[in-house]
Formats: sequence, structure tokens, C-alpha cells
Amino acid sequence: MTRAVGIDLGTTNSEVAIVENGQARVLPGEDGDLILPSCVGFSETGKLLVGREALRQYEAAPERTVKSIKRWMGTDHKTLLGDREYLPHEISAIILRSLKQRAETALAESIAQAVITVPAYFTDAQRQATKTAGEIAGFEVLQIINEPTAAAIAYDLRSEETERVLVYDLGGGTFDVSVVEITGEVTEVLASHGNNRLGGDDFDRRLQLHLKELFRKQHGMDVPDDPVTNARLLRTAEQAKIDLSTHAFTTVREAFLGSKGKTALHLEAEIARTDFENLIHPLLDETLEAIDRALSDATLQPDDLDRIILVGGSTRIPLIQHMIESHLGQAPTDGIQPDLCVALGASLQAGVLVGEAVDAILVDVVPHSLGIAAAMSTPMGIVPGFFSVVVPRNSVIPVSRSEVYSTLFDSQETVEIEVFQGENPIAEENVPLGSFKVEDLPSQPAGSVQVEVHFDFDLNGILTVTATEKGKGQQGSLIVSNTGVHRLSSHEISQARADLEALFEQDEAIESSASDSPIVTLSPELSVLVDRARTLADSLDDEQADELQDLLDQIEAVAEGNSDEDLEVLQSELEDFLYYASREN
Amino acid sequence: MTSPHDRLGISPDAAPAEVKTAYHAKLREFPAHTHPEEFKAVRAAYDAIRKGETAKDDDFLNVRPLEVTLDPDSLKQLREKALAQIDISLDELIRETF
Repeated sequence: MTRAVGIDLGTTNSEVAIVENGQARVLPGEDGDLILPSCVGFSETGKLLVGREALRQYEAAPERTVKSIKRWMGTDHKTLLGDREYLPHEISAIILRSLKQRAETALAESIAQAVITVPAYFTDAQRQATKTAGEIAGFEVLQIINEPTAAAIAYDLRSEETERVLVYDLGGGTFDVSVVEITGEVTEVLASHGNNRLGGDDFDRRLQLHLKELFRKQHGMDVPDDPVTNARLLRTAEQAKIDLSTHAFTTVREAFLGSKGKTALHLEAEIARTDFENLIHPLLDETLEAIDRALSDATLQPDDLDRIILVGGSTRIPLIQHMIESHLGQAPTDGIQPDLCVALGASLQAGVLVGEAVDAILVDVVPHSLGIAAAMSTPMGIVPGFFSVVVPRNSVIPVSRSEVYSTLFDSQETVEIEVFQGENPIAEENVPLGSFKVEDLPSQPAGSVQVEVHFDFDLNGILTVTATEKGKGQQGSLIVSNTGVHRLSSHEISQARADLEALFEQDEAIESSASDSPIVTLSPELSVLVDRARTLADSLDDEQADELQDLLDQIEAVAEGNSDEDLEVLQSELEDFLYYASREN
Repeated sequence: MTSPHDRLGISPDAAPAEVKTAYHAKLREFPAHTHPEEFKAVRAAYDAIRKGETAKDDDFLNVRPLEVTLDPDSLKQLREKALAQIDISLDELIRETF
């Protein structure tokens, strides 16, 4: 029996897990880290970097590094990395390929099948892009499952009593809330709601703007608006956010953010937790509204909930815990691993699908309503363009539903079926999934020709719509398997897979040639310092300029392997030099 | 035709707890990924029984459109007509203003 892994492909972090003897565990990388930052980049020499290594260079080389690509999944947004543009699913494929390698190394066997999780509120296009990424990475994607659902499976209740659980999942880029009923091994989703563009990244960005504002107040000028400075401030903001989860205050220190004449400008500020909370409060209010809608869709009251589970790194923010507790009148359950439970749940479902001895039965729902554009009779006459829902949101999947429609005009020969996904009563306000025509209808008076429209939505999120004229049996159908993004043929997927393999192999070649000559790469912090020193050099007097040049030469000598002086010592000398030089000027 | 209760293998007067137990047993028998058609039938039966429990309220409040007809061609025509009207009225408006 081949084994299959479960993957949490997150905005900020990703994990891969496997079931062994009925127990799920997250697989560590060679460095022992269970978490792989969802960050991809290329080093100066063109070496592919994935995870922590890529993240480390993000500040110094934002033009060669990408993170939070999940936010763009299902779009054709292009990211320029080095000399090539990448689509979101191609970047995700690199992360997935890296996780595949991690699993294969940890288990010492090849792994070809995976269950990958997505936010419950992901649209059809976003799910398909995720599946495509998995295929390019070399996986057979057994199933795409919802993150909050996966977390619920991982949450081992072991009680035959039915428990109603609210899963609040706030990650780096997406927010989901699911109301789940767990009875023994059966995990049944009652309702899901969310926002695909709300998460920790938004909190970072708000705090980044706040830091820029503080800088402006301190120095009477704006922070330079260049990619490196923005990347530095974003990292600083993220670190401050993390600190504020455990401390009431944190101090932000960023040197050399800009200059005024010859004076280098620094940012030094104390941020209070309450400042941060004021910044993010409006965003969190939206999540409470989503909770209310999910509860109302599940026809439950807050009192009916037996438990609240928090998932995703952002739920470490104390304000979130307080807001949920006061909104629902119940404290969230402790003891959940918010970073790992999604991957663990995905691996359990993977185990079920390949026939491991795992007791888990999953009943999930479709997050968005599916339907067609139709004319409806209203008190003001017949009005076209309404969204007629065939499969209501939160229907259990797989699902098949039919509705019967009739012609609008005498002798109408064709009907066009336009398929949409969404909740707006006006069809065009929803996401279009495609359209097709049924032609040669029998010539009859308006309303007497009936067309049955059948929706079939399978476990993999593939929607098939069939329309049949009831009398003569004219048919038309549409398979909606990918929208929004260009659908890749199996040939294109194997081509992309080959490209990706080449990228990983070329990476190994660079790595081995690099190890032949002992070249030391500078840390991103030091690279930034060196860059700054070079720009500063012109404004120094001769004596200082010589001193600086000497320092830079020494650093270069170490980097080229011609000197074994301690880089850290040189770095701190350079820091001191820059500090005093900027003071004097 | 099989009744929803037959489908779940329970008597028509089964209590809600029995319905749920039977439903879960059927889920075990017909997992969605190996038996999608059976799964859908089981789920439809379960939904129907639960809907029956609250049918009294539903019937009263159920305001469904009397007729749902479909023709995007006419939609387009109507929209064009409406747009044309707006255009004309805009022209007229300009004429009247100046």
C-alpha cells in the first residue's frame, strides 16, 4: 500500500504530515523544523531557495523573493523572480515540491499522493489552482479539503455524544469560520463562511503604515518608498505584532531608514498593544459578523456551541481571543496546536482515502451558492438577470440538484445557461463560471417548453451542469473544472513539472559547485549594511572614507574566502562606524 | 420509489436520535469518495426527513417565485433597451440644459 501525505499549504507557513499506525504526525525538515515558511526566492547566484532560507533574504532582496503567494491563487497575477515570471500556482508548486522532498527524506520512500487543504471559503478557481500546483509538484492530489474541517478532524474528541464546535481559523492571509458537528468519528460541517483576503498580513500592513506615520512625525518627512525599505518595515511590523501577543509594549528600532542631507534617519518607537489593537479592531469586527452568519446558516445560537477551536497563527493575538469570548459567551478551548492541526487533519483524511486504519468520516459542504441567471416573475412583471440558486451554499458535497425552467417567448429556439457562483440576487454580481446553449427547442408558446437544469458537484469541486429539454430531449452541458485561470492540459502540467524538476536539479548543481570553493555568503543584515555604507561613502571626508573602505575590503576578503576574520566582529565594527558617521554628519 | 425512511432503514416514526444514528451508519457503509451516488441518496433522505420535522413552519413561510423563466437573450435586449433609454435621456438632458 502506498502512503499519502496531508499538506497544509498556508499563506505564511506550510506543513506536511503523515499517518502512521493510525497516528498523525507532522514531518520535520532536515533542520528539524516542522514548519516550512511559504516563501520562495533565488539567491544572488540563482540558487532556488524555499522556506526559511528564502525568508531570510526577503528583507535584503525583495525583488528576488516572494511570500504570501496564496493570496493570488486562482488569478493570473505574475511575480517576477530573477529573470522569469511565475504564476501563483507555479510558486505554490515550488513550495509543494519542497514539502514532497521533505516527506520523502523523512520517510525514506517516494510519496506520490496527497490531500491538500484550502480555506473553506476558497472559490472554485482558487481550489483548481491549488490542485494544479499539486500536480505540477508531482503529486496525485487525492482530494482538496477545507482547512477548518481538517482542523476539526485532527481535534480528537473520542466521545459518542454529539458536540457542536465552532472552528475559527485566522491565518496569514485568509479567514474561515466553520460550524461543525462531531459525533464519534463523524465530522459533519453544518456551515462555513469566511473572507479570502483577511489575515495576519493585513495586520502587518496596518502596523507598517503606522510605523511610517511615526517616522514622518519624528522626522518631518516620509520613509523612502523603495522595495527594500518597505520589506524591512514589513518585517519589523510583523516582529512587533508577534511581540505584542505576549507583551503589553514593544520597542521598534530600525536604523538608516532614510537620510536628510547627510544625516541618517532612524526609527525608534514604543508601540503599545492597545495601539496595535486599535489598528486591527475594525478588521476583527468583520470576523464576528462572519461567525454570526455561519451560526445562522447552521440554525444555531451561540449557546448551542459546546466548544470553540482557534486555528491559525493570528489567533495568538489576545484581542481575538477576548473578542470571541465576549461575542459568544464562551472561552476558546486550550490545547489545540494552531499551526499544525490542519496538516494533521489533512493526513488523517489522506489515510482514510488510501485505506489506512483511520476512523474518520468527513461530511463537508459547498461554501458558495451555485446557480444560473434566470428571469423571474415579480410584482413588476417578468424581470431577467436574477440569480436562481440551484445548489444553495452549505449543501453537503457531493451533491446533485435539478431545477426546471421554462421559455420566456413564443417559439423560442434557444436558451443560454449562464452559470454563476455567489450570494448576490443579481446574477451578474456573482462569479461567472461559464455558459452554454441548448438549441433547436420545439416551437411552442412561451412557458410551455420546459428545460431541466441539473447541477452535479463532486468531491473534487468539479461542477457539471446539464440542461435537457423535457419534450424532445435536446441537451447541452458544461463541465466547470477551472475558471479564472487558464486550464492546463495534462501535457502542459507535465511540461511545468519537468521545468520544476529542472529548477530543483539545477539548484543542487549550484549547491555542489558552491561547496567546491569556500565562498561565504553575507547575511542579509550585513548586505544591507554594506549597501548603505557604499551610498554613504561619497559624503564622508577622506580619512573616514579610507577607514570605511578598509572595513569593506576586509569584509569582501572574508566573503571571497581569502581571509578568516570573524564576520560578526566586522559587522559590528561597520555598524558602529555607520552610526557615528551619520551622527557627525 | 424508496421513501427516505426506507433508504435509511428506519420506521417512519423513528425519533430524531434514531434517524441520526441510522444516517451515520449509512455514512460508514457508503463513504462519499467511494460511493458518491449512494452517499448522495443517503444524504438526500436525511435532509428530507429533517425537513419533514420542520415542514409545518416551512410551508407557511415558503414564498417561492410562482414562475421562473429563463432567457438571457431577452435579458440582453432589455438591458440594451434600458441603456438606450438612459442614453437618450442623457442626450435630452444635455440638450435641455444648454
